[in-house]
Amino acid sequence: MRELRIPTNWTRRGFLAAAVLGIATGIAPATGFAENIKIGVITDKTGNARFYAQPVLQGIMLAAKVVNAQGGLLGKKIELVIEDDGNKPDVSASKAQKLIDSGVVAIISNSSSTSSQQAQNTTIKTLTPQVTHNGSDTLTRKLDNKCFFQIGPLGSIQIRTLMAYAKSKNYKRVALMTDNTALGQILAKYFKISLEKSGVKVVVEQVVPAGAKSVLPQMQKVRAAKPDAIFQAGILGREMVLFFRAYHQLGFKQQVLGSFNLSIPSYLRTGKDLMEGVAFIDAFDPAKPEAKTFIAHYKKEHGKTPFSLPGYGYDDLMFLVQAIKRAGSTDKVKVCAALQATKGYRGVMGAKTESYGFAAGKRTGFPPQGAVVRLIKDNKHGPVVHSGTK
Amino acid sequence: MSDLPELLVTAFASGCTYGLVALAYLMILRPTGIINFAVGEWAMMGAFAALVLSGMLELPSVVGILGAAFALAAVGWLTEWSVVRPLVVRDAGHLAPILVLLGMLVVFHQAMLLIFGGGDEPLSGPFGFGRVGLGPVAGAPQDFFIIATTLLVFGAVWLFFERTVWGKSFEAVAINRRAAALMGINLRLVTALSFAGGAAIAGLAGVLDGPRASIEVKTALPFAIQGFSALVIGGVNRVEGALLGGIVLALAENLTQRYAPIPSGLSLGVTPLLLIIFLLVRPAGLLRAKEAS
Amino acid sequence: MAGLASQSWLRWIAATAFLCVLPFLLQPYELDLYRKLLFWVALAVSYNFLFGITGQMALSHFAFAGIGGYTVVILLTQADLGLGLAILAALLLAGILAFIVSFAATRLEGFYLALATLAFAQLLTVVLDEGGTVTGGTGGLTSYALPTVFGFKIDGPWYALVMVAVFLITLAILVRIDGSWFGRACRAIRDNTEAASAMGVDVARTKIIAFTLTSVMAAAAGMVYAFFDNTVNPPVFGLENAFLLLFMVIVGGSGSHAGAIIGAVLLKMTQDILEPVVGHYHALGLGVIVVAAILFQPSGLIGTWNGFRARKKRAP
Repeated sequence: MRELRIPTNWTRRGFLAAAVLGIATGIAPATGFAENIKIGVITDKTGNARFYAQPVLQGIMLAAKVVNAQGGLLGKKIELVIEDDGNKPDVSASKAQKLIDSGVVAIISNSSSTSSQQAQNTTIKTLTPQVTHNGSDTLTRKLDNKCFFQIGPLGSIQIRTLMAYAKSKNYKRVALMTDNTALGQILAKYFKISLEKSGVKVVVEQVVPAGAKSVLPQMQKVRAAKPDAIFQAGILGREMVLFFRAYHQLGFKQQVLGSFNLSIPSYLRTGKDLMEGVAFIDAFDPAKPEAKTFIAHYKKEHGKTPFSLPGYGYDDLMFLVQAIKRAGSTDKVKVCAALQATKGYRGVMGAKTESYGFAAGKRTGFPPQGAVVRLIKDNKHGPVVHSGTK
Repeated sequence: MSDLPELLVTAFASGCTYGLVALAYLMILRPTGIINFAVGEWAMMGAFAALVLSGMLELPSVVGILGAAFALAAVGWLTEWSVVRPLVVRDAGHLAPILVLLGMLVVFHQAMLLIFGGGDEPLSGPFGFGRVGLGPVAGAPQDFFIIATTLLVFGAVWLFFERTVWGKSFEAVAINRRAAALMGINLRLVTALSFAGGAAIAGLAGVLDGPRASIEVKTALPFAIQGFSALVIGGVNRVEGALLGGIVLALAENLTQRYAPIPSGLSLGVTPLLLIIFLLVRPAGLLRAKEAS
Repeated sequence: MAGLASQSWLRWIAATAFLCVLPFLLQPYELDLYRKLLFWVALAVSYNFLFGITGQMALSHFAFAGIGGYTVVILLTQADLGLGLAILAALLLAGILAFIVSFAATRLEGFYLALATLAFAQLLTVVLDEGGTVTGGTGGLTSYALPTVFGFKIDGPWYALVMVAVFLITLAILVRIDGSWFGRACRAIRDNTEAASAMGVDVARTKIIAFTLTSVMAAAAGMVYAFFDNTVNPPVFGLENAFLLLFMVIVGGSGSHAGAIIGAVLLKMTQDILEPVVGHYHALGLGVIVVAAILFQPSGLIGTWNGFRARKKRAP
């Protein structure tokens, strides 16, 4: 019998090595060598959306941890690939490309609406699934991006919920405040449409431009118009504090009703004592069973009770996970179809009885009845005082 | 129409903060001829210094204010010693110090972003919020505090320049460096003091302005631009010019925002527009230099 | 002499070939970085002519890039002009605005010119922010695309070639002018305006021509940029980037074309490469580099290179 000898010739050694490698990589999946499922996240760690994006990112990371602890997704671990776009839209598009090149299955957009919009220009090229909880009504309309899904509370839903809450107060004439950001303008637009549809007159509209030194001129005009209440569609942090300071300085007593921007916890610090009694939109009812589970996970991980923001991130990832599970694979086309077919998915966010779902051909999934109204009391987020748009 | 007196109070308070930043530019510009664009960063840093002192260490507001001024004076001194002096000593031309200070602007800005992040923080002043005043002349307590403090600072600086030997030596250096050196004035000390003083005043502007809303690193560049515009409008040659320029600028902004039938966002264009107009039409500013006696 | 001429031709051809082939070898993300790098390099060489060679410290260069980008998109999508006409109109508008600005600014010197042009850039941002549906407001314009040119869809690596072309044309024009009497006049103005005037240089006219020409070049680069991500918004053309451009020229070596290229490549690649590694510290490092450059090597990296070569020549 001839001895098996390792060839001394380099070419043959090369062939042997290649053969071994080829077999090894071929066998690897079969023996369950887990490749991770990569999910990309574009977030803001350093820019002006940081105070909003960081807590939400916590929720995304928590969700990944929970899924991995419970056996992973399709037998593999979820690996989050996180990129910082500093809330700069052109950087967002670049990072989206970077993530796609590195093999992510889907991308979660965690910066502002403008960044999510620009990132779409990249994801649409490869129809990479992109998910966000931004609230701008135009995100799914500017581009026909069949794989972009928005599960956040739309501006139109927010205002209808606010108005349902305010119905008992019988407002006849109101003031509308906003800023000159893209989202602030869109929220204001939908606020106004909804208000006027219900017969409430917007007697004065004022804009606080980013970088304003003083809001007194605008607030004086508001005071002169004598509104019954003030609807606040703005989203900028410092300018919001300016508004509330002027509100108190001029001795306003009218109710302020705000968008989901006012649910950002940092306002309780920067606007301390300034925002007592303000009504704001949230998508979080701590009494919802899924919310309770989420709160328990969060407490275990971070040692304290969460505000609502991490819930958005948690839902973003879990929403992707349930679609991938139903698709049974990470193939982009199948995942897109599974995302679109989501119906009745109960997430952390949304009122107690509500769940996410997409109507045929639509890619906005937040339930129309899913927003709630809460009040700020004692510098804390108070309980839910109203639910839905009825 | 109680709107106008109220508006004037706010406008004057804003004008005072612009005037203080303009004064900071002036303190450095006069003896050295250097335009230090980093004063905007120093104003912002003053606010954050006060945040650390009164917000985090919970010292009384006044300690926060004075502490911030001292801290910034040290920063100004160090800046002059480390990056400006080497250039002046080797006669690197008039552009080099300006450029190196632009580089320092980025260093300060990024360092602050790394330490404090990009969001806004609350800075509380010595008084609460709300409204105080007599009849129609009313405003936020912080506004009156700003006006009072600014008048004090300007008064002190004016006295310094007009009545003290040190102040006169600043003026001498401004007029003719070489002659001043020959007369025995310590150029290096004057330069260092001008940077320290300018930084302290800029820091003060930031601390005073902070409690009006919340503070964030982003406010640095607007401070720099508004302060410089105030300086150009008021006149680079006189201390009073800095305050006048600041008030004119703030009045223009606020009155435009209140009474002009244009969208609020466009009133942000008032500052750059005024700056351009003055630079082109009347670069010496509103107040002429005093005639040499 | 003939040898030298053919040597520089050879270098041009080699460089062009390299720049043109590279896009086809890169992954999409790397391609994105490459063309954005070329955009900055194109801006840096034209800015270098304005600041480094003519001594005009203007902070409006990026604003003109924005004017070019926005105008071509607005004319294309809202005025329904064809691509060629839109480009020409945008260049014309940029030229007219630059002429007006420089005409008004001939009297301003040094940092006062910088501030006036900075104010102009700020005004532009305000106009863009408040421009409603025409400019897209603070969110800018999105969802447009480059129309087909003679039936061809220019995309991906092919579009990168457009940026290469604009860059090379810009550089070629500037190098050519630099070598002529106009370039010498510009340098004379930079070094000593009064002496230049005494020597017969029409200072005002030279400044205006230099400013208008370089600003139009910036506008051209901006137009190419507009179709990178099919988005233009105010922050991209804002003040932060204006300072960065200045720094690139300083660090590379102001007054030298090669310096501008090196400075732009170095600072931009530092951003792209360091950022994933050290996070936001890269921006701080940038400031430190600039300060160090001004303190220790004011003639920039190109100065270091030249010094090195000179020493080699002297060595026996």
